[in-house]
Amino acid sequence: AVSFLQVQDCHVLKYVSKEESGDKRPQLVVGGKNASPFSKSESAMEIFKEAGVPRKQKLTTFRVTEDALIKPGTPLYAAHFRPGQFVDVTAKTIGKGFQGVMKRWGFKGQPASHGQTKTHRRPGAISTNKAGKVYRGKKMPGKMGNIYRTSFGLKVWRINTKHDIIYVNGTVPGHTNCLVKVKDSKLPTYKDCNKNPPFPTFFADGDEELPEDLYDEEVFQFTEPSITYA
Amino acid sequence: RFLSPEFIPPRGRTDPLKFYIERKDMIQRRKAFNIPEFYVGHILAVTTANPYASEKASRFVGICIQRGGKGLGATFVLRNIIEDQGVEIRYELYNPRIQAIEVLKLEKRLDDNLMYLRDALPEYSTFDVNMKPVSHLDHEEIPVNKLQVRMKPKPWSKRWERPQYNIKGIKFELPEKKMKEAQKWSQPWVEFDMLREYDTSKIEEKIWKEVSEELKK
Repeated sequence: AVSFLQVQDCHVLKYVSKEESGDKRPQLVVGGKNASPFSKSESAMEIFKEAGVPRKQKLTTFRVTEDALIKPGTPLYAAHFRPGQFVDVTAKTIGKGFQGVMKRWGFKGQPASHGQTKTHRRPGAISTNKAGKVYRGKKMPGKMGNIYRTSFGLKVWRINTKHDIIYVNGTVPGHTNCLVKVKDSKLPTYKDCNKNPPFPTFFADGDEELPEDLYDEEVFQFTEPSITYA
Repeated sequence: RFLSPEFIPPRGRTDPLKFYIERKDMIQRRKAFNIPEFYVGHILAVTTANPYASEKASRFVGICIQRGGKGLGATFVLRNIIEDQGVEIRYELYNPRIQAIEVLKLEKRLDDNLMYLRDALPEYSTFDVNMKPVSHLDHEEIPVNKLQVRMKPKPWSKRWERPQYNIKGIKFELPEKKMKEAQKWSQPWVEFDMLREYDTSKIEEKIWKEVSEELKK
């Protein structure tokens, strides 16, 4: 199973230096999908005006090393990633609203019959007698979903440069057509996996001319004949 | 003028770009490998690459019971009875391991879904494995077989007499009382429900033009 992710008008908006952010590495603020500039205040629109870019729906920050800094205003494309790289994808999970303890935390609940009085999906006991209090972080019913979660170590199988599409292994948090943050994997097994990525990023007006579709080596090309063994 | 049902995108909130790219991939695969036009009720022979079989290829003959899935995951189920054991295999149309699909007999049935053959007498699902392909003239006229299938005694896997399945191909030998009772579950308002309508005629025309142009190249 593969997830279909599209890069819709991503631009680098701002450069935050080490001293400003208080981090060990400088940060780059990147904006996603285009949106209308009329529903935000002037102060929020300042960042977009300085970069010379239409208003974006989502802003994320990426912690970057100093040799990978990009000038604010450059567009980012799907060709930034290559097939065979490993990637972490972050998104807001599907919101399920206020949910009970069985769905939210996977509690077992109580039996359906054999004398249970009005208790089938309740948490049961919440603490011991000796404690005399309920500990912080006790699993209880509440709003479930609509929080940021990441799926790690997803392989990139295919990249379409014409429509800016990345095909990523497995599933990704979030509903269909939701905004998603794609980063190079932080897992130690994939540290040396990125062989010659476009560094610092892929420039469309540069000298490289990529074919429309880039596939990983193990992917079956539809133009080849059917597989035979022996 | 036949458009395979897996080209028609389902109703939903997905981006049409996804369907466009899937269609391009499907057309590319069809250019490399011929997928013949077939309906539910045809008798097909499929050879797949199998690393564990002698001669590395396995051939299965059967009647197509149902065609499901959209896009590259389109599947079809073939049923046959081999040595008194009913066997159903679900194949994916765009699986790269499939080496050949041959249509042995062209025959449309009265229904879109022949799952009731599981509860029918075994003679209706047996087909000779070494059957010769029946020749068929190229243009139009796929014959509709109005066969009324006789069933095994009840219980069945599904209650086929109920109107939700809308089966016309079974010869019900149940008493009138049972048939009337089954009509209790009919939902006559469903055909007038406007929210359930999904008119695919215009979408089909556009997709048909796109697909036929690409395939001619």
